[in-house]
Amino acid sequence: MPEWFKLIGIVIVIVGFALKQRTTLVVVTAAMATGLVAGLPLFSNATSPGQEGIINMLGRAFSDNRLMTLFLLTLPAIGLAERYGLLEQSAAWIRQLKAATVGRLSILYQLFRVLHGILGLRLTGHASFVRPLIFPMSVGAAESRSPSVLETEKVERIKAANAASENYGNFYGQNLAVVQPGILLVYGVMRGLGYEVSLWRMMAFTSPIVLLSIVLGAIQFLRLDRSLSRPSNEEPVSR
Amino acid sequence: MISAWLLNLDTVYVLTGIVLFIFAVLTLGDKEHPHRYSSGLFWLLLAIAFALGSVLPHELTGILVLFMVMLDGAGRVSRGSRQEATTQEQSAQASRLKNKIFLPVIAIPLVTFLFAFAFRAAGFDSSAINRAALVGLGAGSAVAALLALRITGGTLSTMFHEGRRINDAIGSLSLLPQLLASLGIIFTAAKIGDLIARGIQHVVPEDNLFLLVLGNCAGMAIFTMAMGNSFAAFPVIASGVLVPLIVKPFGVDPAMAAILTLTAGSSGTLMTPMAANFNIVPAALLNMKDQYGVIKFQLPFGVVIWSLHVLLMYLMIRLI
Repeated sequence: MPEWFKLIGIVIVIVGFALKQRTTLVVVTAAMATGLVAGLPLFSNATSPGQEGIINMLGRAFSDNRLMTLFLLTLPAIGLAERYGLLEQSAAWIRQLKAATVGRLSILYQLFRVLHGILGLRLTGHASFVRPLIFPMSVGAAESRSPSVLETEKVERIKAANAASENYGNFYGQNLAVVQPGILLVYGVMRGLGYEVSLWRMMAFTSPIVLLSIVLGAIQFLRLDRSLSRPSNEEPVSR
Repeated sequence: MISAWLLNLDTVYVLTGIVLFIFAVLTLGDKEHPHRYSSGLFWLLLAIAFALGSVLPHELTGILVLFMVMLDGAGRVSRGSRQEATTQEQSAQASRLKNKIFLPVIAIPLVTFLFAFAFRAAGFDSSAINRAALVGLGAGSAVAALLALRITGGTLSTMFHEGRRINDAIGSLSLLPQLLASLGIIFTAAKIGDLIARGIQHVVPEDNLFLLVLGNCAGMAIFTMAMGNSFAAFPVIASGVLVPLIVKPFGVDPAMAAILTLTAGSSGTLMTPMAANFNIVPAALLNMKDQYGVIKFQLPFGVVIWSLHVLLMYLMIRLI
């Protein structure tokens, strides 16, 4: 079998995602197919010692990466707060801030996440900040500037912008402290390849990219503000 | 001693398992649920895999995961009957509780920070600080739950029903980051990275610096998009392309080239559904209609900032 057959997993993922198949099934199918084509055993066994089986890897990766799913713990408290008016109240609160817009809030939030990076704090804010706070605040800001009820399509774009500002701030800001895993990974890999690179020098060279990410984000968010203030033709639907 | 106990992530995992177990029980008791038993079983299996993940043999966890994915793949995992409170109801509560309702949600990040800061101030290393933040997330969630119960006067049962409502909206997608991690491990075991690095070496002429920089950044972004993770892609591209084809022959500053290669990969992360925890799960968490809505918004940003990486790296090599 030619070696490039091993790329079957990537093909399965692209085709599966494009056809909107169940994502969990697509990913596991791709993993199993890649492993089998590469000649890995299904289970670790005595006939090929030292070779971990595909199912074993599946289980190991799953339990080693449980930390990615810890956000589930926040759901009861957020759910209860939502039932008792969290979204309404944040909208009411932000309506008092006349200068607040979706774009300005997104810019501010991105900067706030870059600050986390500088402080050496690593977290993903989608569950702890974006869903409970930034999104309702943004909807409140948009509603206070819109004469009628917000159209569903606009709310969808607000959600996308809020999630994006989290990612922009997190991805580029996180290399601004020496304790961050990205910087440490690069240091470790380059050392293994025979280059002792300075952590401070890496931080210096990443700063123009951080600046660019802030400027590009600001451009995109302010453009969103302009498009949100234009009426759209869609039927208004209440949130 | 205390720090070892505090930093034990298993406590948080067991706690998550218990929350999932409660969601499973509520699902099994939801008579109007279209797939009550299969969905309940799904959450129950996840509760087990979560709470016992550190003690179960990996092959057993693997089989549990396969079973969950099959249930989901057969379309047997779906949302329950719990509905959001009406807007009128929410407004009435909002005017009663005012800003007090923010206290629980602010407690989550606050306690997370406190834990991380405390361990940082005490001089622990970065991996301990990261674990402290995760344990802090668990503690913060508990504090938030207690505060929410006290402030709203709601019952424990309402709280878990509401938690399950959001959990159901996310559904099986919450598994995706963990599944993608296993895909990454299997790609590594199958040596997919070497294959891609050799492909780039084959295509790009060895003496054209601009094309080499372009190939390096493109390879990094593409491999990151396939793996969903720039950290997994970096060692492959650094050892297969960056060092042998750019840093060594052209005497380029390794710190500059390496860190720009890493963030060229981060730009790829913005554009791929494989980075599910950053792009797909948030769309589900926000209840978006289009699960690719976040990626579509990030796409123009990602393309522009990636191109700027290529230019910046080339200019820096030429100018310094």
